[in-house]
Amino acid sequence: MIAATRAEPDGRWVLPKENAGAWVERLLEGAQVIAPVAGPEGEEVYDVVRTPHQVLWDFVNPLDPPKRFVLPQTEPLARIEKTDGRFRVEPIHDEAPRVFLNLRNCDLQGFHFLRRMHAADLPDPSFLRRFDSLTLVSLACTRPCPWGFCICCEGGPFLREGYDLQLTDLGGVFLAEVGSAKGRKALEAGQGLFRPATEAEQVRRLELEQQALRSFGPETCHFGSAMRRISTRRVADELWEAMGPWCLECGGCNLACPTCYCFSVKDRSEEPWRGNAGGEGSAEQVWTRCRIWDSCQYQAFTLEASGHNPREAKRERIKRRFYHKVSAQYYRKDQALGCVGCGRCILVCMGTTDMPSVVAAIRKGRWEGGRL
Amino acid sequence: MKDLLIPSVATILATRDETPDTRTFALRFRDDEEHRSFSFRPGQFVELSVFGAGEAPFCLASSPTRPEHIEVTVRRCGVVTNALHALGPGDEVGLRGPCGNGFDVEAAQGWDLLFVAGGIGLPPLRGLIWNVLDQRSRFGHITILYGARTPADLVYKDELRVWSAMDGVEVKVTVDRGAPGWEGNVGMVPVLFDQVELRPERTVAYVCGPPVMIKFVVQDLLMRKFAPERVISTLERMMQCGVGKCNHCCVGHRYLCRDGPVFSFAEIREMWE
Ligand SMILES: Cc1cc2nc3c(=O)[nH]c(=O)nc-3n(C[C@H](O)[C@H](O)[C@H](O)COP(=O)(O)OP(=O)(O)OC[C@H]3O[C@@H](n4cnc5c(N)ncnc54)[C@H](O)[C@@H]3O)c2cc1C
Ligand code: SF4
Ligand code: FES
Repeated sequence: MIAATRAEPDGRWVLPKENAGAWVERLLEGAQVIAPVAGPEGEEVYDVVRTPHQVLWDFVNPLDPPKRFVLPQTEPLARIEKTDGRFRVEPIHDEAPRVFLNLRNCDLQGFHFLRRMHAADLPDPSFLRRFDSLTLVSLACTRPCPWGFCICCEGGPFLREGYDLQLTDLGGVFLAEVGSAKGRKALEAGQGLFRPATEAEQVRRLELEQQALRSFGPETCHFGSAMRRISTRRVADELWEAMGPWCLECGGCNLACPTCYCFSVKDRSEEPWRGNAGGEGSAEQVWTRCRIWDSCQYQAFTLEASGHNPREAKRERIKRRFYHKVSAQYYRKDQALGCVGCGRCILVCMGTTDMPSVVAAIRKGRWEGGRL
Repeated sequence: MKDLLIPSVATILATRDETPDTRTFALRFRDDEEHRSFSFRPGQFVELSVFGAGEAPFCLASSPTRPEHIEVTVRRCGVVTNALHALGPGDEVGLRGPCGNGFDVEAAQGWDLLFVAGGIGLPPLRGLIWNVLDQRSRFGHITILYGARTPADLVYKDELRVWSAMDGVEVKVTVDRGAPGWEGNVGMVPVLFDQVELRPERTVAYVCGPPVMIKFVVQDLLMRKFAPERVISTLERMMQCGVGKCNHCCVGHRYLCRDGPVFSFAEIREMWE
């Protein structure tokens, strides 16, 4: 049996479903809670939860990835004030305690990808502060989504580590595995609501994992051979060229992808009177310096002031995206593939230059126009 | 830990017009302590903010051996550069850095040095030139070859004269197109190679300028038997963060803002994406 996991020292616990609401209530006392909820059209979205009954416990993974809660689409970095020709630059920090509830494991791996890259080389304290104030509670996928291929890239459906708390839906109860001190704390917040798991429940958890592994849809992604070719420059230019017309340059794949993080930095002008009402010393002008998501698929991404653009052709930009995600060079640098197998780009891309299609084309050496 | 993307306030002390669209700015951090602790290598760059307009990378054009102020030479060509040109002494900007690897001055000790610059490519080399001139005895013969489109496009005209008057320093200047009153060389930079004595086996060459100029000059130098490891250049890409995070400046998995912008031609040859 593959029972031994890192969660062992803390044992395993179960939360009867009728107690779930009460637990969320307790979590809400100490932190902001983010969870999948029903959006305005009934579709699943990740959002800040106000009341426990909003939390979805059985849901399709939202198309909009949760990354904006660790890397906001427009992130205020500093407030810049101008007064009498002098400037004041005030960094904006966000370290509010947050609990992320029912995160899917692919997205959890995405989070760790983002954390690793922000911690590597020159660490980014502003990202790390926000990230490390988060408690990550994942909900393992007992029924894999039809377009997911996390199984091809260690993205799920169940994880052995990386979560603070991993929940598994056993039917009447959620089994909880503790992965860290933060997870233990979240569990303790539910004191009296959880009880130790029985032997039978632990066995059930393993059965469900095996069952999930068997019930993946047809989507597969053979990264190995694609990586070999991309890393050794053995993908013909004609192949990238053939994909070019299929990419609409919308950047949707980047926005939807849990591991994409390219950004630009811009100053946003604020109305000076807002929060500065009159009085001495009030600023004449205020800006917010923002970090904003960008996309390597946009032509202007590499456009230089001289007018020269090294990735003017779409071919070059598509190639760039897959080099960053699939090459051995980046695998070594990031210690992981740049894909967690969530399948979002399959849903988002109108032109079918999504991860599995492109990886298949590289493997076969032929672009067939993707899926239709 | 200091925030990665937050600039500090610096004051413009003075400006000097170099050409009709290029100006040199002398800057000093507003906080004295911060100014004193700012140390850099020639070839590194700073991210300069004109608050409200944005931020852009500019190479440090002054030498660390002259730490009273920092200089950048900026050509006006867009939002940030235009906004910067509208500022003058006493005005405040933001500075962040130094960024990038810079030139390895130690490794060049004892060698003859050949500087080849085109147009706005002289600023990154100027910091290095003053740096070696300020420690003159550590280096061999120094040759500076500089070309610009027209006489009006030559930057640091006074300094070119100062350098050429120095012992063991040879300076040659050329322009692509002459103009009334111009009595110097006419033609692209490589025409100057035949006017000086090149000693490839004992020389480190530094080449900076527009991509086409770099291409031709480097080809020429290699043909003249310069070792690719000792032909040093700086590469440019669109940059945003300057600290290896935003991905704008990548060539393959190399980040020009972290691994560069200074590379030897032996390294450049191996880069692909
Ligand atoms: C490492 C490095 C070092 C550098 N060092 C220097 C240096 O020492 N000196 C230097 O001068 N430059 C240097 N540069 C280049 C410098 O960073 C760019 O010139 C600068 O980023 C341009 O910023 P900008 O906001 O003024 O231009 P942007 O506004 O970004 O302009 C970009 C392009 O848009 C065009 N454009 C802008 N506004 C308009 C408009 N209203 N209408 C039509 N077209 C427009 C411009 O012509 C330009 O082609 C360096 C770059 C790097 C990467
Ligand atoms: S590349 Fe596609 S499948 Fe992979 S993580 Fe990004 S959006 Fe999901
Ligand atoms: S400029 Fe952002 S990664 Fe180099």
